[in-house]
Amino acid sequence: MTMAMLAGGQAAEPERSVIQIATYAQQPVWDAPWRFEAVRALGGSGFVIKGKRIMTNAHVVSWGREIIVRRYQDPRPYVAEVEYVGHDCDLAVLTVKDEGFFDKLEPLELGELPKVRSAVVTYGYPAGGEEISYTRGVVSRIELETYAHIGNRRLLSVQTDAAINPGNSGGPVIQDDKVVGVAFQGMPGLENAGFFIPTPIIEHFLKDIENKHYDGFPNAGLRVVALENPAYRSLLKLPDDNLGARIDGILPIPSAEKVFRVDDVLQRIGEFPVADDGTILYQGNRLSAALAFQMAQNGENVAVKIWRDGKAIDVSVEVQVYEGDRTAGYQYDTLPRYLVYGGLVFTPLSLDYLRTLGRAAPTEGPAGELYYELYYRRYESPATARPEPIVLASVLPDAVNANVAVRGRALVDNINGIKINKLEDAARAFENGTNAYDRIEFTSHGSFECLDRAEVGKAASRILANYRIASDRRL
Amino acid sequence: MRIFPKIEQAWRLAVLAVLLSLLPVPAQAQSRKEPSAWEASVVTVEVSRKQYDYYQPWTSKDVRVQKPGLVVGERQILTTADELFNRTLVRVQKHGRGQWWVAEVAWIDYHANLALVTTTEPEFWRGLKPAALGGAIPAEGTLQILRWRAGNLENRKAEFTQFAVREGQLAAINQAVLEADSDIQSAGWGEPVVANSHVVGLLSAQDGRSCIAIPASFIKFNLDAHKRGEYQGLGYFHFYWQPAQNPASLARLKLTGEPRGVIVIQVPPRPDGGEQVLKTQDIILRVDGFDLDIQGDYEDPEYGHLMLENLATRQRQAGDNVKMQIWREGKPMEVSYRLPKYEYSSSLVPFGTYDQEPEYMIVGGLVFQPLTDSYLQSWGTDWRRRAPFRLYHYRDEPATKERSALVLLSQVLPDAYNIGYQEQKYLVVDKVNGQRINRLPDLRQALEKPLNGYHVIEFVQSDSLRRLVLRADGNEQEATTRILKRYHINQPFQLAEDAKR
Repeated sequence: MTMAMLAGGQAAEPERSVIQIATYAQQPVWDAPWRFEAVRALGGSGFVIKGKRIMTNAHVVSWGREIIVRRYQDPRPYVAEVEYVGHDCDLAVLTVKDEGFFDKLEPLELGELPKVRSAVVTYGYPAGGEEISYTRGVVSRIELETYAHIGNRRLLSVQTDAAINPGNSGGPVIQDDKVVGVAFQGMPGLENAGFFIPTPIIEHFLKDIENKHYDGFPNAGLRVVALENPAYRSLLKLPDDNLGARIDGILPIPSAEKVFRVDDVLQRIGEFPVADDGTILYQGNRLSAALAFQMAQNGENVAVKIWRDGKAIDVSVEVQVYEGDRTAGYQYDTLPRYLVYGGLVFTPLSLDYLRTLGRAAPTEGPAGELYYELYYRRYESPATARPEPIVLASVLPDAVNANVAVRGRALVDNINGIKINKLEDAARAFENGTNAYDRIEFTSHGSFECLDRAEVGKAASRILANYRIASDRRL
Repeated sequence: MRIFPKIEQAWRLAVLAVLLSLLPVPAQAQSRKEPSAWEASVVTVEVSRKQYDYYQPWTSKDVRVQKPGLVVGERQILTTADELFNRTLVRVQKHGRGQWWVAEVAWIDYHANLALVTTTEPEFWRGLKPAALGGAIPAEGTLQILRWRAGNLENRKAEFTQFAVREGQLAAINQAVLEADSDIQSAGWGEPVVANSHVVGLLSAQDGRSCIAIPASFIKFNLDAHKRGEYQGLGYFHFYWQPAQNPASLARLKLTGEPRGVIVIQVPPRPDGGEQVLKTQDIILRVDGFDLDIQGDYEDPEYGHLMLENLATRQRQAGDNVKMQIWREGKPMEVSYRLPKYEYSSSLVPFGTYDQEPEYMIVGGLVFQPLTDSYLQSWGTDWRRRAPFRLYHYRDEPATKERSALVLLSQVLPDAYNIGYQEQKYLVVDKVNGQRINRLPDLRQALEKPLNGYHVIEFVQSDSLRRLVLRADGNEQEATTRILKRYHINQPFQLAEDAKR
């Protein structure tokens, strides 16, 4: 009895394994990529998992230059390092140089996906005080949500009315003494709604890094739409059984293009029957069928039953991580690429770059063209999409470019007649120019600017010195 | 078409914003002085018109607005074309009070934003006197803006600021405008701007204290052409150019002598199919006898420095030949540029759809509409920001032979027939039953030929829905009838070509 209570008492103190994290982060400036923003101190939470590791959110440690972790009611700071990070699922695991940090710290165990309406408690170090904070709530709903850290991935997520505030990020959400999630985001405009990353996602991440490399969540490369209208079902000779959703489009992923065709009907993915609204039943929750592919690891094969040409067939598809829309989401870890030539700053088009243009609507001014290029062209006319569209981000004023009228925000079409598909093309086009004047043509109605090559050569070191740029390029 | 910097287009917005405050409100009492001679020339035009809701194109409201008119000749009242579209009744009143006379529009050109109104009632014209158009801006820059308000002729002071070239109010054509600052409120509807005894312009827009007027010389030139029966409509330059401020660009194009002119950067096919005499990389040095500087300005004898775009409308109209001196491949040469006629329908997304009921087709609850500026403007005064980005962005794309216009699935009126598609909207139609769709008549024809008992509707490639299918077994008519009844819609379609018949 006493033993049981004691054991129960120990397990009922998960706060001992909850870690306070302070990250000193330094982000690059995306339109002046050799520069960095001021160092920012970010507060977050984490918890100890097996293998002397701390689990937290990717966004708690992103761009971290120094990460300091503290134990429960222990003022000593320890230095931590990121071991693995998954930006798509907003999870990271940290190690601590001084292994003594983990003395007497019990790793928390992972539980199951909690049931809707069941109670959960969050643990963490949110803003508003120094000590650990607990909030209690119920599981409000379970759905695929956009993960704000990357911005363009929807993964399984749990909504709760337990308060989740800045600083809670990375902290555990506990039910029956087990971790059922990692608190990670709120939603502007919603009250009493916080979101946590549930265990199926955490376990996927942990399994992914078992081979010492993080790949990410795979994607079948399909745009699946509801197939509820009886006319379409009849055209495809489908039985009237409310099963099966239609493939309306396929991303340029070879494994997907090899197996699927538009108008194939997904009837079963792995063990999950697919309903005509494009959902599966997952542990009692109606969720987007995309989940059934995401739960596989990168490179794994998933058995799929499809309906094609009036009959059901079984196929197998290798699911892969899709990288084609990487720049349309937020990017981390790798510093932005750039090239400075004659004071003209060229950098790849990305969401991070677009954000430097401020909050104006993309319909205003030249941003519309950039916005279209980043978000639409790949889908609308893939044949004309460039692997890495390059923008003239800004012009560093100097005598050599004093009369250049285009001062930035312009998409580059070609330089000296060479089509610019990636940043290296720009560097090569300038290096191999044969005319006395370099010609940079933009996509907007063929507008162009010229630079005197001899003058550019003379100005190069002057511009770098004036603007304190260590190198004219980061390719 | 000039490329850098982008022409300000904020004026039109400002005008839409004040639309509702057009009807007169009692003006502050002004001390009554000597009756002004202008009282015999300035009249009030009242327009009753339909205001369409492009989001529900089968409905319209009736609105009534009043705007100033100016007697300019024998039974001729000049005003701006703005607000005269979709009209159901026009009336005129003189001296700011008393009787209204039924009138009619004798001539209107939306592109030029000019109209002539007349009435056959002889009594109306008694005591009225034509005003003189033209004359110089006084050296000290003081102007007056006139209109009738609550029975008094309001005479507001305005200070001339500049002549500039801006996009027109009702057309994407750049032309000279007179700009002035004034405390007048809710103006921009054709108020005469006068200096001494002459009318120097008609107000066409207002944004805060800044007022924009169509200058008298533009009005006179086009009215005279109309009187002679020779009005051809507005012409414009159908090519893109950029200023030549960068000497390195001129050097690369081997221009000798002083830096001057502008550089042609894009020459799209002419909408009239005519030959394009310009080529990209040409440097335009002189247009219609005027030398161009490296910013693309010329010295206008009347208005000073103006952008070259104005030379397409300065004493010129569609079809006229304009001489250009250009520099091509290291040598000067002369070309003659025939001005194409501006037409709304030349754009992929037409700028204006006036005097025309909104077009739509309802097929089994699916609502199809042409993509037009009028449709995008149904997102309200802030439509440029609030309309769906992708639809708005089509305004930057050229019309081509294959795709001359766009038809949208704008919304779905839910019904058992279209179940599963009720959330679909703002999708641009590519093909229906295998046939390409540019306009609603194409859609109507395509629907007559279902494929094996189905209508197959395909949308342009995007990351949204690409295809939907409806049954075409004869029951779709029944569904449409049921849907129209349930949603209180009188007719399943409204096509401009039917209205013309």
